[in-house]
Amino acid sequence: MKKSYAYSLLFLMGLLCFNPLYAQVSVSGTVTTSGDGLPLPGVSIVVEGTTQGAVTSIDGTYTISAPSTESVLVFSFIGYETQRRTVGNNSTINVVMSEEASELNEVIVTAFGISQEKKALGYAAQSIDSEAITKTRQQNVVNALQGQVAGVQVTNSGGAPGQSARIIIRGINSLDPSANNQPLFVVDGVPVDNSTVESGGTPRGMSNRIADINPNDIESMSVLKGAAATALYGVRAANGAVIITTKKGKEGQIRVDFNSSLGFDQLVKKPKLQDEYGQGFSGERNDTSFWPSWGANIADENDPDYVYQDNWTRAFDTGIQFDNSISVSGGNEAATFYGSFGRLDQNGIIPFSTWDRTSAKLSGTIKVSEKFNFSGSMNYINSGGNRVPHDRFLERMMYWAETQDVRDYINEDGTMRTYGNTNPIYDARFATYEDNVNRIIGNINLNYSPTDWMTLSYRLGVDNYSDSRTEITPGPKGIDGERPLSSTGFIEETRINSRDITSNFYITLQKEWNSDWNTSLRLGNDIFERKFDRVTATGSNFVIPDFFNLNNTSQIFASQGKSIRRLVGFYGDLMVDYKNFLFLNVTGRNDISSTLPKSNNSFFYPSVNLGYVFSENFTLPDWVTFGKLRASWAQVGKDTNPHILGSFFVSPGVFPLDGQVGFSRNSTFGDPNLRPELTTSLEFGAQFAFFNNRVNLDVTYYKTNSKDQIIPVPISDATGFSSYITNAGEIENRGWEIVVGGTPIEKGNFRWDVSANLTSNTNEIVGIREGIEEIVVGSQFGYAGSRVTMILQEGQAYGNIFGSSYVRPGAPEGTTELDRSLPQLIGANGFPVRTGEQLILGNAVPKFFGGLRNDFTYKGFELSFLIDFRAGLQQYDQFGNFLSAFGKQEDSERRNDFVVFPGVLADGSQNTQEVWLGQGEGPDGVNYGAGYWRNYYRGVSENFVKDADFIKLRNITLAYNLQPSVIERTPFRTARISLAANNIILSTPWDGFDPESFSAGAGGNAVGFTGLGFPGVQSYFVTLNLGL
Amino acid sequence: MKFKNKLYTILGAGILLTTSACDSFLDVNENPNSPEDAPISGLLTNSTYETSLNVQRIGSTTSNYVQYLASPNPGSSSDTMDPVNFSGTWFSLYNVMTDLNEIIRKAEESGANHYLGAGQILMALNLGMTVDIFGDVPFSESFNFETVTPSYDNDEELYVQVISLLDQGIANLQEETSISIGADDFIYGGSIDNWIKLGHSLKARFLLHTKGTSTYNENEVLAAVASGFQSNEDDATVTFFEQRFNPWAQVAINNANLLLGGWISEQFVQALDGTSYPTVDPRLPLMIGTTDEGEFVGTVNGAGRGDAPEQGARSTLIPGQYYTSTTSPLLIATFAELKFIEAEVALSSDPGRAYAAYLAGIEAHMDMLNVSEEDKQAYLADPSVSVGAGALTLDDIMKEKWVAMFLHPETWNDARRFDYAYKDMTTPENLNPDLNGNYIRRLAYPDSEVSRNGANVPEVTLLDRIWWNQ
Repeated sequence: MKKSYAYSLLFLMGLLCFNPLYAQVSVSGTVTTSGDGLPLPGVSIVVEGTTQGAVTSIDGTYTISAPSTESVLVFSFIGYETQRRTVGNNSTINVVMSEEASELNEVIVTAFGISQEKKALGYAAQSIDSEAITKTRQQNVVNALQGQVAGVQVTNSGGAPGQSARIIIRGINSLDPSANNQPLFVVDGVPVDNSTVESGGTPRGMSNRIADINPNDIESMSVLKGAAATALYGVRAANGAVIITTKKGKEGQIRVDFNSSLGFDQLVKKPKLQDEYGQGFSGERNDTSFWPSWGANIADENDPDYVYQDNWTRAFDTGIQFDNSISVSGGNEAATFYGSFGRLDQNGIIPFSTWDRTSAKLSGTIKVSEKFNFSGSMNYINSGGNRVPHDRFLERMMYWAETQDVRDYINEDGTMRTYGNTNPIYDARFATYEDNVNRIIGNINLNYSPTDWMTLSYRLGVDNYSDSRTEITPGPKGIDGERPLSSTGFIEETRINSRDITSNFYITLQKEWNSDWNTSLRLGNDIFERKFDRVTATGSNFVIPDFFNLNNTSQIFASQGKSIRRLVGFYGDLMVDYKNFLFLNVTGRNDISSTLPKSNNSFFYPSVNLGYVFSENFTLPDWVTFGKLRASWAQVGKDTNPHILGSFFVSPGVFPLDGQVGFSRNSTFGDPNLRPELTTSLEFGAQFAFFNNRVNLDVTYYKTNSKDQIIPVPISDATGFSSYITNAGEIENRGWEIVVGGTPIEKGNFRWDVSANLTSNTNEIVGIREGIEEIVVGSQFGYAGSRVTMILQEGQAYGNIFGSSYVRPGAPEGTTELDRSLPQLIGANGFPVRTGEQLILGNAVPKFFGGLRNDFTYKGFELSFLIDFRAGLQQYDQFGNFLSAFGKQEDSERRNDFVVFPGVLADGSQNTQEVWLGQGEGPDGVNYGAGYWRNYYRGVSENFVKDADFIKLRNITLAYNLQPSVIERTPFRTARISLAANNIILSTPWDGFDPESFSAGAGGNAVGFTGLGFPGVQSYFVTLNLGL
Repeated sequence: MKFKNKLYTILGAGILLTTSACDSFLDVNENPNSPEDAPISGLLTNSTYETSLNVQRIGSTTSNYVQYLASPNPGSSSDTMDPVNFSGTWFSLYNVMTDLNEIIRKAEESGANHYLGAGQILMALNLGMTVDIFGDVPFSESFNFETVTPSYDNDEELYVQVISLLDQGIANLQEETSISIGADDFIYGGSIDNWIKLGHSLKARFLLHTKGTSTYNENEVLAAVASGFQSNEDDATVTFFEQRFNPWAQVAINNANLLLGGWISEQFVQALDGTSYPTVDPRLPLMIGTTDEGEFVGTVNGAGRGDAPEQGARSTLIPGQYYTSTTSPLLIATFAELKFIEAEVALSSDPGRAYAAYLAGIEAHMDMLNVSEEDKQAYLADPSVSVGAGALTLDDIMKEKWVAMFLHPETWNDARRFDYAYKDMTTPENLNPDLNGNYIRRLAYPDSEVSRNGANVPEVTLLDRIWWNQ
């Protein structure tokens, strides 16, 4: 099979034969741009109605032979208006090209870093430029996409410095709970690693690896959504691709750009808390009690040693980030270069959380001759910081007494100061986890054009990083009366080495048959390899206290995990352009993966898409400036993880015990006949511009089906395995993407640009496997039976959250979904009755999301703001569960009240019984034990699965650019100062911290659980940009 | 044209070369982290370790049914005998049986008869425990991966297999072996004599369950008893490790850290503190903790702790006692149990033997706990204990066995055979209404089986008795 594809590619190449014509009239000239009058290289000149053509050289000059003086020369260049000139008697024709005003002709970078006119695409693609990226002041480029691109959902996993963000394009495509559903990231044509390697123990909020990229180095980001856009990247882009193009040097004067930005972070939102009751239980004050706030009424005590400490405000710092970068770029006819250096330092709002990033980049292009050029780039990054145990920090905040000062955490001898419970700040300071990433991303590109219709290109990319992590929890210091964080203390050293190598060779054959027909064919070979190795050594029990080295521990465990994955792909891509209004694109790719069984490891998948610019075919009313229809159908295959086929033996982590190492057969079995997955996507779209581009509209409908999924099917443990990795199940995503934009006002110096996008996505699990009813994605703890679980079931949508609820007698028999509108059953004791039966309480995947961007400019002033929203989702609020268990939520101020719970009694009559909400014996003489919230409320999951919609003012920026008249008197080319604020307005029904937070980290799919995540922040920035 | 031809040739050759080189380039999928095969000794290490944990896992649930323990929370499903999801325990049982199946297969291939025998005895134990709590379970279609939805075998037929596995195990342990068991055996450190005694003792245990069925044969049980454990020295236990604490110790430590668990049932406290019986049992302070006031106060099953605080007002497991030290042994089968089996079996035919065994059982358990000789003799001399051979009843035997088998799952088998007729034992508060006032008779099949193998899972209620409890 492999070979026959190779032959068919050769055959396709043979279709492009040549039939050169002879010329009679020679014309030459120079093409310049209307803007700055500089020569424009690379402009295509064609004699209309023939196949004769030429291209302007680096100085903008050209020479062409035309058959006759009646011949018409057509000058075209991407992003410029096409010009026509009749040859006549001129031997010199100089042409001034003006930029096309409309963004409809915007250029978009697609597969392999190829710039294409957006007009020619048969599928939806959107890009954002450097300004839109840096304006967001997001240090993680994934976050810079938030709210800016239709179909793209970006979710922060929390507010820690450097913390990962998750990006999902057009819904989740896999039933595998551990699948990576995120798109491929490609920098300058080379795929780079964006994995998130979470910490082993308590969550630490690690980075997704694309956060290593300095946003200041980025020229543009395009998002390729459907499989149509990504068939050429193969299996790794099955979830879409984000194509990042970095800044390059430009011919001309050397430019120096300097950016400096100072930012401050604050807690954006916190839950409603009570401030009336202090430490103790059952309403009784106890200054050494474990119980932080079930004690006495603070006002009644009237004691300066028993006052509300406002710990939830005071425990958090003001975060600071300081970002500096400088770049130097320039070049001449033969070579260009770009070099940059960037440094970011960030301290988070949880004390002692830090992250920093140093990056250095050098790239260049050299044009050896008209036929040969090469370019390369090298980016070195060092990043990392101290990742505080945010989950544990907030858990300890829950236990910390509201009447004890959380900031008073350390004694002079360095031991913890506490009344009994562990102080969260002491823990954050001394239980450290530092990562240190050294990474090199490099690529080299060679282009050779032996003739004007053929180019041979080769690109080699390397992404190599080492991630060195050290976790330390100190043991006892040996001081009398100390409260150590751990009875033994431990140190864990982790060394991760990962190396991606990508090799890509392709041939581009271009042919302009005549002025009507234009084709280009690309044939290539793509090789990928990832080697990963992780070694962990843990030593516990420090012999000398506070001397943190593995040698100083009495017990050492080590473990290792490594993997290698290789892929080889062959591909072809044919583009046909008819009269510049009909565009057809056909692609085919064959991948061979090392991860699949040899008999099934080679697989082919095609795609076809069509773009029809009807506005250039028909005469339309004046007010319709542009109109296009597009359709695409594409398939993409998908392989699996390395080293999963067959069955293995493992040594459980508990060993060695007494020098013995036990083995057990692994409970996972990988189907030795595994086949590749297949995702088929269908997309229709229309794009319009009206009133001379004042308004434009882009609408897309998509439907994606992923079949033959490679998933770990849970099987009966009695088979000897618990999980069978095989082909099973299908998942469907369908939805609409709408992008509306335009320039409502452009008058004199004033301009207003607006762009909005809206996405709806519907997900359905079409099937799992005969006899298998559900797949558990993950679950999260809740007190007293309120644990919630995300479960996938046939016929339902991805993301359903199951948990316990109140009994509702009116619910139909066999109901699976909670109906909150039905009355609750009230027990004989007057309290609502709980059931542990697991019902669907909500769904964690938003049904709608979108963003709105506005830019106003007036002379040197710019004001812009970006709003984004998500709607139609629920999350489990673990904070709420803990708060209610410990009497910290505002609602618990009712603790001395009597209430009548609305609902029905077992006999169907309305409940009228009054009950007391407090602890112990109530004023009515009844003993209420631990009280309503501990005995009833906290044990019912439905109380904590709540709407998590939000609207956010993601960013607002006010900038001033120094005007030419002023700048002329300075040494600077440009100068700009801006003030920005992120996330300062947040509207949400959610009571808690910022609902945009989940504990699984970007790599996890159990997005519906907040955990005790790092709380979200709002930020303020002042930024200075100077250009020399 | 020449150029083109040359180009095509180069390209074609290039592609062909690449494809043929592909095969070896792509042949890198062998798992570098986990071996495809494991040594038989490593499998036995894990199997002995995990078997002891399986006993503890089942015991942690059944201890509430037999009212050793009670939940601090009202209406807790393990107290009230609600259906509970036992997916985790089910997994652990089958996980060990999967490895035992490997041991048996490998030992047969290599003539390692001692591994074969030990593997068969452990298989019998794990399978027997599984049948005792669930009834019909998959076995004949297990472990060979010919189906992902194995059918369920009849529980009575599985019992034939359990006894047969024990017999085969005992026989194989007496054969020559190509590989000897050593420190890889966490139960006996390679003592084959003890393994043989364990085989007989387990045979006595499982045959006792069949009392009241047509296959029951008293002499067969007594023969097994005679070849079983001779003293506490022979007990089958796994002693826990500094690196890995005894799970009951962990329960006690967690409870001290307010992750509540290991609270003692009022039934247990009152049986030993002189309330239900005339004697105060000297073992009580060696088995459980007191309140802050130094008193033994139990918790009523199903009622929860009421207004009691979470610490200091109720008896719980506390760290550092016989059952709850970090390096305490987990008890799989004991000499004391065997003596009570003997007492029960001999009671009708040979009351003298039964009475001697009854006293020996009490003494064995007291020795295990290191009860002082003085206290031991005082207790044994109490007329409510030393009832005499003529007056010994099944109730006496079952009461003392209940104490001696603290936290062990075998007590639930006893309780079901004995119809929960322990003195003063009552159904828990908030009893699962589906039980209509009766005690639980089996565990519900785990959710994992219902969702993964639903078509084969038998329809049962918690009142449906398993075959030997009809």
